[in-house]
Amino acid sequence: MSRLKTIHIVETLIWLTIIAVFFVYSFEFNQEIEIYIFGATGWPRVILGLLFLVTLGNMLHLHKKGSEVQKGRVGIIDQGEEISYNSLYSIWKLIAILSLPLIFALSLKPVGFYSATPIFIALTILLLGEKRIKWVLGITLFIYTLLIILFMVILNAPLPQGNISPFYDFSAFMLTLNTNLHQSLNF
Amino acid sequence: MIDNFIAGSAALFGDPFTIGIFVFGLIGGMLFGAIPGVSMLTLAAILLPFTASLEPAQGVMLFAVIYCTGTYGGAITAILFNIPGAPENAPTAFDGYPMTLKGQSGKAVGAAVLCSAIGGVSSALIMMAATEPLANWAISNIGPPEIFALVFFGLAVASSVGGRTMWKGWMSVLLGLLVATIGQDPVGGINRYNFGFSDLAAGIAFVPAIMGFFAVSEIFVQAEKKAVGMYKAPRMSLDFPTMSELWIHKIAVVRSMLVGFFCGILPGIGATLAAFMGYGEAVRWSKNKESFGKGNLEGVISSETANNAATGAAMIPLLALGLPGGAMTALMVGVFQMHDLEPGPMVFYNSPDLIWIVFAAMFYANLSILFIGLIETKTIMYLLKIPFQFLAPMILLLASIGSYIGRGLVLDVIIMFGAGIIGFLLRRSGYSIPGIVLGIILGKIGEQNFAQGMQMVHYDVLEYLSRPICLLLIIAGLLTFITGIYKALSYSFKS
Repeated sequence: MSRLKTIHIVETLIWLTIIAVFFVYSFEFNQEIEIYIFGATGWPRVILGLLFLVTLGNMLHLHKKGSEVQKGRVGIIDQGEEISYNSLYSIWKLIAILSLPLIFALSLKPVGFYSATPIFIALTILLLGEKRIKWVLGITLFIYTLLIILFMVILNAPLPQGNISPFYDFSAFMLTLNTNLHQSLNF
Repeated sequence: MIDNFIAGSAALFGDPFTIGIFVFGLIGGMLFGAIPGVSMLTLAAILLPFTASLEPAQGVMLFAVIYCTGTYGGAITAILFNIPGAPENAPTAFDGYPMTLKGQSGKAVGAAVLCSAIGGVSSALIMMAATEPLANWAISNIGPPEIFALVFFGLAVASSVGGRTMWKGWMSVLLGLLVATIGQDPVGGINRYNFGFSDLAAGIAFVPAIMGFFAVSEIFVQAEKKAVGMYKAPRMSLDFPTMSELWIHKIAVVRSMLVGFFCGILPGIGATLAAFMGYGEAVRWSKNKESFGKGNLEGVISSETANNAATGAAMIPLLALGLPGGAMTALMVGVFQMHDLEPGPMVFYNSPDLIWIVFAAMFYANLSILFIGLIETKTIMYLLKIPFQFLAPMILLLASIGSYIGRGLVLDVIIMFGAGIIGFLLRRSGYSIPGIVLGIILGKIGEQNFAQGMQMVHYDVLEYLSRPICLLLIIAGLLTFITGIYKALSYSFKS
């Protein structure tokens, strides 16, 4: 009897789609290289071919054994712990936790590190279940100060400054403060 | 050799400023290695422009010290948080993190401290004694076919650990190899899979991918548990291993030292493959294979001895041939170039002072791991007491800064968080994150050396296989591959 579940079929389809997309896209750079007979596509296509074969092997395993861990495998840290979502709220919370860092990353170019960071810290702490507002604000300030001291003041690391006002102005203000501090300390 | 070593030590400790740089590298490497979210590469990338104002010997020495102590420091985060500080610490997490979950973090970290020091010191000694003969041997015996064969064997070993099935192990490695094809091809420089993004022409940078797959995905895994109320805080323990507990694993230490040193001297291979192979060999020779991945101290010992043994060895191809063995040694090439120097055989004749200060500094840095490492570890252990909701944003931000600093591209931060989400989903389905990362790291090296090897033998496969080291490694890789397939198929068809 097959132990294949819908999730397994979706998983296999995702892999097959990746293989198909990469294979089709390989025609975009299918150029000969004078000194190398396999060209630019040889190596990626071999990888895609092997990936296709092991995807079939994986599907066979899923069909026969489902999500069961193969006996004798070592070094598996995620032992397939069953995570049960008891409410819609926890699903939304997870989606928010996964997307917040991505939104933060996308905001770095327009907003800049100096303005986006405190908002990101506070929202992450809140999403991870901290309800005491004083703690949220205190820890946000603490982490922000620590990062600014380490990377801006001590290491002088170049961080994204943003390109829209008033965020860009705030970044400029922070950098001016840093320059003044360095000059006054003769750093 | 002893005279040179004494002269190098005198030059190192004779100048207070040089001592200051040494101590900075020592503590900086350990801290950046041991703080989850950043790594020694972050520190090295930030410091690179500043090395222009240092003497060449001071600059290279600083990076060599960061390399030694950062490789050790990365084990701490692997053990305590399941976030390897560098790819070479990934196999350490296989058994180190389960030990933390069992309340044995002190034992795992203690073993990592001792074995990193043993591996590093022995490697530094061999490096001092044998850099020139080993470099000569490598020049005459190791070429692109051997390096490709070793990459193949290493990937076969990596596929056998980590994933829930052999298929998933291979799929992880192949996904990593596929990601590594993004960017220009190493032979003709033709753009591949950049999907219209010009920033992708240079390929996917290692650091964001590593941070995303390791650090960010781990934060997401823990955050998910927190969201559904299944989160359990890891237990802190300062119960270090006894000498007798470590003595039992003496053979594993010696074996990993040899594996680490061998991988380290091969250009382009570095400490990452050393750690995977050290771990893989420990599993292969163990009578109790089932216990690996569940908190076997030998797993931590093998991985940490091997990766630190590779640090000294990796300096051999760098200094003797001018070929970097990994990301950190590649940054060291940058230090040389900032001072109008080219690493290679001539450095031994033109700048012997530089060489021996670096050798002496690496020896003392590895020795210092034993003393400073134990003190530092006891402090770092208290990180486990910080509630997850406060630690997580800190790690995510450090990882963001670490990813951004390398190339100054916001795209790298986006890639890192993207890799984090993909890594989280793949981990939930039982794929091997270390396998993906190793595939990304070795993909370009493998392709480049395969192409060069094929060109060398004029596409004659028999000539390719007539090279004994190459043949041996290909056979070993194929055996690992075939045995894996046999086991996977027989398991699938077993009722």
